Formats: sequence, C-alpha cells, structure tokens
Amino acid sequence: MSAAISVKRSSAWVLAVVLAVAARTASASPEEAKQWLERMSESLATRNYIGLFTHSTPTQSESMRIVHRVEDGHSLERLVSLDGSGREIIRTREEVHAYLPDRRVVLVEPRSDDGSLLKALPTPGAKLDTFYDLEVRKGSKLLGRDVQVVDIRPRDRYRYGYRIWLDEKTAMPLRSIVANGAGVPVEQISFTSLELQKKIPDKDVEPSVDATGFQWIRTGRKLGPPPQPMANANGWRPLRLPPGFRLVASRFQLLPGSPVPAQHLIFSDGMAAISVFIEPGHASGPAPPESSSMGSANAYSTSIQGHVITAVGEVPADTIREVAISVAPVDAPGAPSASGAPDR
Amino acid sequence: MTDQIREQVSALLDGELPRDEIGLLVRRMERDPDLRGSFGRYSLIGETLRAPGGRTAHPSFAARVSAAIDAPGEAAAAQDVPAIAASHAFWKRPAFATAVAASFALLAVILVRPFASEDAAIVVANTAATLTVSPLAGAISPTPAQSQRLAGYLVAHSQFSSPMARRSVWSGLLAADPGLQRASYEIQEAP
Repeated sequence: MSAAISVKRSSAWVLAVVLAVAARTASASPEEAKQWLERMSESLATRNYIGLFTHSTPTQSESMRIVHRVEDGHSLERLVSLDGSGREIIRTREEVHAYLPDRRVVLVEPRSDDGSLLKALPTPGAKLDTFYDLEVRKGSKLLGRDVQVVDIRPRDRYRYGYRIWLDEKTAMPLRSIVANGAGVPVEQISFTSLELQKKIPDKDVEPSVDATGFQWIRTGRKLGPPPQPMANANGWRPLRLPPGFRLVASRFQLLPGSPVPAQHLIFSDGMAAISVFIEPGHASGPAPPESSSMGSANAYSTSIQGHVITAVGEVPADTIREVAISVAPVDAPGAPSASGAPDR
Repeated sequence: MTDQIREQVSALLDGELPRDEIGLLVRRMERDPDLRGSFGRYSLIGETLRAPGGRTAHPSFAARVSAAIDAPGEAAAAQDVPAIAASHAFWKRPAFATAVAASFALLAVILVRPFASEDAAIVVANTAATLTVSPLAGAISPTPAQSQRLAGYLVAHSQFSSPMARRSVWSGLLAADPGLQRASYEIQEAP
C-alpha cells in the first residue's frame, strides 16, 4: 500500500516537473523571440554592411543595394534601386536625401533621430507580446548561414504579421515577410548577398546621381512656433487608434507643394509606426479621399473640417483609413464622433 | 551578356562571389539594364524555387527540360544555350542551373509568385473583425505633384520607423510610383 502511494507520489512529482519545464519552455519562447528582435535592432543600427536584396510585392519585384556605415556613433545609409530609374536614398548625419532622377527632384529632410526624438524610434518594447504572439525556432540555412526564424503574429486585424529569418551569429535579418490579417504576404525582402565589413569607403555612401539642375525640395525644415493657420493644431488627434499605439512624437514641418507647415503626429505600438499629417485645406476646396499602397506601407488622405488629413504607416489599409477619418480638433465644439466625418 | 558575367551573377546569388568583384558587378549592373533584368529574374526564380510549399512543375518536367537542352538541334537553335553549355564549370553552379531550368519552367507553366503558400501561415492570432471596408474605385496613375507629396509623406514617416520598416518604406518609394485610389468606401459592421 505504502509502496503504491510512494509510486503515485513519485509519478506526481515527475508530472509536476515535466509540466513546470513545459510551461517554462513555452513561456520562454516569446522572451527569447523578443531578445532576438532586440539583437536584430542593435545589429541593424551598429554594424557596417553592404547587401543586395530583392524587394517583392504581389505585383512586382525590384533589386536594391543597401550600404550601412556607422561613424562616430552615427549611422549613414544608402539605398539604391537597381531597376534603372537611378532612384536612391541617402541618409547622412544631418539629412535624408531622396534622389528621384525621373522627376528631376531631390527631397531633403533633416534627420530626426537627435535628442528626444531618438526615443520615438519603434523598438520591440516590453509590451510587444501584448499585441503580438511571438515565437522563435531554428530555420533552414540561408546564404550559407544558420538562421533563427522569428514569427510575430498580430492578435487583431489592425496590424501586420511578420516572419523574420535572422543570422544566428549576427542577428542580421536575411529575409523578412510581412503578411496581412488574412495571412497573405504583402511584402518580402530577401537578401541575395550580405557582407559585414569593418570599414566602408566614402564612395559607397555617396550618391551616384548627378543632381545638377534638379529641384531640391526641403520637406522637413525645422520650424519655430506654428503660424496662425495651424494655431489650434495641437488639439488635433485621431479619436480612434488600434490598441497599443501611443503618441511618441509630434512636430511641425513643411511638405512638398505646401507653403504652410503641417502638424506631424507619430504613433507606434513598438513594431509598426503610423504618421498622421494635418495641413490647412487647399483653396480649391476639399480633395476627394485617396488611398495608396507601397508594399507594406499604406497611405490615406481625406478632408476634415477644412484640413487635409493624411495617415501613413506600415499597417493594413483599413487601419490607416480608420485612423485618418477619425482625426478631429479635440477641443473644438462639434468634433466628429469616433467614426469620423470626412468632408464630402 | 557574356558567360563570365553570367557566372559572376550566379556566384553572387550563391554567395560565392569575392567581395572585390561584388562592387564591380553592381556598378556594371547600374549601367547595364539587361544585366539588371537578368539578375532580377534569376534571384526571383531562385527565390520561388527555394520557397517551401510553392507550386512546382511535374517531376518529369525537369527531365524534359534537360533533354531539350541536351538535344543538339535545339541547342543550336537557341542563341544563348550553346555558349552556356560550353562552360561546364558554370553549369555546376546550383543557382544558375536552377535559374535556367526555371526559366523554361516559367515559359511553360507557372509560377512567378514571389510568395510561397507556407509563408501564408503568418495569420492573426485572434481573427475577430470589427469592421470591413470595401474600396469601390480603381487605381489611377498619380500626377507628378501627387507623387511628390506621397514621397514627402513617406520620407517624413520613415524617420520614425524601425530600421527594418524604414528599409521597407524606402524600397517601396524607390520601386515605383504608388498607384492612387480615389476612395469611395462602404463600411459594414462585421457580424
């Protein structure tokens, strides 16, 4: 009898230990995934690398070359399209330059990752697993390197899901897929070569475009206090945001084609970011709503109470639209309800 | 495109091209639209074939492609094939062999789908929907002014994206002008 009890007790202990280990293993997975994402963020920000990758959407595929150099703690970056358009983007210490030779235009924007705005950059925070299910597992080799595959599944339809293949040694992403709420991939980035280098020569981060005669448009000139037309803009806010998105930065800036500064609000859930731009309306009256899609980024513009509202972000088109149409001057009487009231 | 260049492209895709040659090849790619096109096709084909779960041709198809390539009459009829076949070492490169076989497959069957079905497993954890929105209007080409404004929004937004999202936003901006949709929406509450 006592022997039987002893066996039962032993079995119970074994079962308890197994369950405890299993529970610990299961709960460790999201933590481990978060650690991999943090390592990835650090690698992307601190390493020198040159790579070629293919950027694919369901309708097209383009080859790109990326160069990233870290100099005295500042990152310089150059992304070049290899499709023959000559388009490239260069991020220097002070500015971002987007060369669009087919438009004979260079867009210039001051870099924003200085001082307090540095904190605005989305990083996988402690609460990331509140809005996403996280998993990590061993994957098949890519580019001859061992990889870990991190799955980031949204818990609702307001954001995208991600699958990222990370080099085990460096945590550099070798491949990534962004999928919509139905699980259908909307964008894929696959590296065909990736070289980590100790030093990257200057010529690799300099533009290859001869921009002589191009129109240089400074889109984000740093501004003082907002002028009259936007005097009450501090009160504009989206009334509907997906759970977990919080305001991380706000600023005024000029945008192409507008002499009056726009208010730019930035929201993030730690993985994706949404920008909302609020501009005084055009004299010709409200423009019809427009939406556009660029890979995983979506944009939606509409007119609300004499202002042009544009939301841009790496979230599904429906989410972007919902955010845009809910923007309202929160202090003004008769502010629209949560469903928004776009001009018709 | 010469055999040597093809071999370099193949080596690049296999991760075997020496570092000093990568720079030269990329600069050549920037000047040569044919080379860029070939690189894009090879990498897409390789990607499609490597992706697990993707649709593939019938098992006998590869054998038929090999037979077609080996057939002397047909090889002579094709402009590029004899030169390719003459370079035995070149054929050993897996990416190139795969790419050529897949080129035939592309003509006959399939299959340029950048995304494989297994990748579609990235689903939402909770599928409860609250709103469905149906766009009614079609895409139109943006005017230069619209395009410029969108580019401005994207560049401004990218400053606050994570490094990976920034790369994605920039790639979208460089890839092509985004299509615009004049939006007219019907909003329906989900059951």
